[in-house]
Amino acid sequence: MIVEFMGQEFKINIWLGCLGAFMISIVASMFGFGGGPFMVPLLTVGLGLPMYLVVGSSLLAIAFNTVMGSVRHFQFGNFDLVFFLIMFPAAILGGYIGPKIAKRISPLWVKRAAVLGLLLLAGNLLGVY
Amino acid sequence: MKKTCLSLLIVLAAMWFSAQAASVPDQAQQQPGDAALAAPVSQAAAQFALPTLSLDKTSLQNGGTITVTGKAEPGEPVYLELWSEQQVRASRFDSDPDKQTGVRPYILYMTHNLPAVYRIIVPAGFADVLDAIKKQGGKWSYSKALDDLGAEAAYSFPAQAAIDRYQATFLGGIVGSRGDKLTAMDDQENRLRSMQLIKVRFRSPGKLFEPALQVAPDGTFTAKVTLGKGLAPGAYHIRALSGKNAASAAASFENNISFPIIYLSNAGTSLNLFYPFLLCLVISIFGVLMGAGGGFLLNPILLSIWPLPHTVVAGTVMPTVLFSQISGIYNYSKIKFINWKLGLSLGAAALFGGFIGPKMTELITLDQYKFVFGWILVILALLMFWQTTPAYLAKNKKEQAVLKECKLRAEQAAKTKKEPVCDPKTKE
Repeated sequence: MIVEFMGQEFKINIWLGCLGAFMISIVASMFGFGGGPFMVPLLTVGLGLPMYLVVGSSLLAIAFNTVMGSVRHFQFGNFDLVFFLIMFPAAILGGYIGPKIAKRISPLWVKRAAVLGLLLLAGNLLGVY
Repeated sequence: MKKTCLSLLIVLAAMWFSAQAASVPDQAQQQPGDAALAAPVSQAAAQFALPTLSLDKTSLQNGGTITVTGKAEPGEPVYLELWSEQQVRASRFDSDPDKQTGVRPYILYMTHNLPAVYRIIVPAGFADVLDAIKKQGGKWSYSKALDDLGAEAAYSFPAQAAIDRYQATFLGGIVGSRGDKLTAMDDQENRLRSMQLIKVRFRSPGKLFEPALQVAPDGTFTAKVTLGKGLAPGAYHIRALSGKNAASAAASFENNISFPIIYLSNAGTSLNLFYPFLLCLVISIFGVLMGAGGGFLLNPILLSIWPLPHTVVAGTVMPTVLFSQISGIYNYSKIKFINWKLGLSLGAAALFGGFIGPKMTELITLDQYKFVFGWILVILALLMFWQTTPAYLAKNKKEQAVLKECKLRAEQAAKTKKEPVCDPKTKE
């Protein structure tokens, strides 16, 4: 498939992209997260697209997964309204505060802290300690 | 391509409706509460006097200790059964091979009628037996524990929960259906399956048994029953069972909770609403900074702090990011920074995935959820680590510069209502 973006043309293997998006979204909706950190490398590394094309389009693809996943979870009775009403304002507030802080601190150190935090959390889940 | 996308969507819609018809849970549940409140009268009870019991309080404030006193026939073992009126849902997917035939049944058992809190108070002398059961870790069996503690006869309230069972099939799993509903089980089978669901729901023996009962030789007994914080509000009932089948009438008390502690009815847990709010706030700020949505961190942390079912955590955290995603899409689309052809093609595939995933959450246990999530986090950590390597950073610096430049041009083009053009090669 040929993708045209801002005057540029990119030839990509859309079936590979769809297969990847399909698998990522199964796992993402199963475990209840967004999936952006997996979708972006799929498109940049897997399909060889530039970052400026990927940011918007991957968000669109993920939103489809989030909408469908949320509806299905609701259908299976996995949705707790009170719990949602507690967390939803916090998520929106975080979305406003986050970018303001992001300008002031080094993304490199955030990533390093994230690696450490993720490994600690993974160790906890896997029962390492 | 458009044709392909369209046909995908049509197939999807067809699957959606067929699955909906199959998977709507039976709403007409019978309430086992009324039947259970009436003590079963048995032959043994005709000979002996039924046990009696009374409570020292009529209400608790978000947990506390309540003293139960009573009298049973001297020399007979005594057990107390405690349950809350609030009910919760539990499901278990049975994929263990049959011991005789080796065939895996793949049956989903589901009930909406388990008590949110359930406990059998056993004589204090069983503390050692209970400790041995606790030492078995996750592999303990509830029915065996009931046997070992001599509490088999005391287990009666949850045994009457209405349990539906569905025969899952591979195809059914793909279209997201629970499968065909099987015929109702007989009482014995229902009792056995309810024990498995109780274990799935409460997980640890410490929540289901409390060795707090002191029985004197003359048959009088006392127990200090402790209800922890964060349990379901509403009415609780306790009854005493002595001998084979003789049960006292149930005594009741209220567990009151007040703001800011609230009860999550679907999760079956009470909590102080400020804690998940703060947690979600901190995690979503950090999520913005590290460039990964909050769900990766939020879900496992929520599960490790509160006794929430993983299905409810996954199903409730997922829609919280919808707002930020949609506002992001709106902002990008205003400056034509989204390729709709690519986004919609991948989105169609993502719709299928999002359709299947939530079904699978129901089929796995909490331990399996944690195990797989642990490995997902390891992969994510590796991805993040790769993004801190010098080679990636050098490449990313260029990419980010191009991204910034192109976004700027897109914004300008949107203002002047021209088609945006950005060619990074000619720019350099």
